[in-house]
Amino acid sequence: MDDCGPIINPMIVEGQIHGGVVQGAAQALWEGAQYDDEGNLLTGTMMDYAIPKADFLPRFALGKTETPTDVNPLGVKGVGETGTIASTPTVYDAVMDALAPLGVSQVDMPLTPERVWRAIQDAQKGGE
Amino acid sequence: MQSAPFDYYRPETVAEALDLLASVEGARPLAGGHSLLPAMKLRVANPAAIVDLTRIEGLDQISRDGDSITIGALTKHAAVAASEVVQTDCGILSDAAAHIGDPQVRNRGTIGGSVAHADPAADYPTVLTALGATITVTGKAGERTIAADDFFVDLFTAAHEEGELVTSVEVPVLTAGQGGAYLKHRHPASSYAVVGVAAVVTVDEGQCTAARIAVGGITGKPERAQAAETALVGEAPSEENNAQAASQVPDALANPLGDIYASGEFRVHLAEVLTKRALADAFARSGS
Repeated sequence: MDDCGPIINPMIVEGQIHGGVVQGAAQALWEGAQYDDEGNLLTGTMMDYAIPKADFLPRFALGKTETPTDVNPLGVKGVGETGTIASTPTVYDAVMDALAPLGVSQVDMPLTPERVWRAIQDAQKGGE
Repeated sequence: MQSAPFDYYRPETVAEALDLLASVEGARPLAGGHSLLPAMKLRVANPAAIVDLTRIEGLDQISRDGDSITIGALTKHAAVAASEVVQTDCGILSDAAAHIGDPQVRNRGTIGGSVAHADPAADYPTVLTALGATITVTGKAGERTIAADDFFVDLFTAAHEEGELVTSVEVPVLTAGQGGAYLKHRHPASSYAVVGVAAVVTVDEGQCTAARIAVGGITGKPERAQAAETALVGEAPSEENNAQAASQVPDALANPLGDIYASGEFRVHLAEVLTKRALADAFARSGS
């Protein structure tokens, strides 16, 4: 659900929102620059640094409101940031909500399969 | 980055290719190029010369001969995936081929090249090991055939000698009562198999009579999980048996490799999970 005021080019507006949502989700689930102890970048190519491909995410349903701003004659506002800022905590919170019954309260992003697995293992050992 | 400079040869026959590989210092064979060329661009491979095999005719045929299917070394992954013969008689192989890399890789990459490269993150070595396939190599002295169990020796190390070329791969026709499945955990950036498990089972009159389980991505080569295989034989297939067999897989995987995406310990865990699922799929396809 986004609001950029009056929409001039709907296709571009939707594209901006899709891109923002994906980028925010990517921060939660996939993207992570890693360095070694000497400061050398280990994830130096696209073979190591994961960004999502089109089939990593489902289709989106977009909604909108149109509230013109009064600080310019067209009433238009920027678009894209809502998606990217809101989707990271949304995805993160959903994962943590799923893990909460298993005793997990903290996992660092990106929530890679190994990090989630270790969090579950550690929580289960802590409970013994 | 660009590759270091190299000379380029394009033979038209296997004999010509073998002569070039023997006589040109530092020459390496090129098939689809999707392993060699990236390595050259990163300068981890710097051959003085490339012998491009892709114009050699007759090495890209798929044919069924009795109880085995012969696949020429230059057959592209897309062709293996689309082959009716392979889909019908060795479905695990066409499934695996259909999920190698991405469409661009599948339209250029070849089974011979993949097998000769022996990358533990590749798909074919694991599947061919589970199938009990053979690989035929040709050298100046002639042809010889090597079992998959013996062909994949270590990280990027296959059993053929320098000066020998992989010329074909032979896989068994899976008959009624046999089923195979290959599952992998894909690296989210590279799409390579972080861990891949291939299972091929035979069921006769409600009992599992044979099982082969190969695990790739854990060590330098596909590992057979023999204790897991033995646990399945002589029993009626069931979810409990699959779980029990899968629980024996970690013991077969000593000294697992790891990297910044997945540690060795996590890979071993994935191997157990993927084995359980692959066995379920393999038994379902065997018709039991």
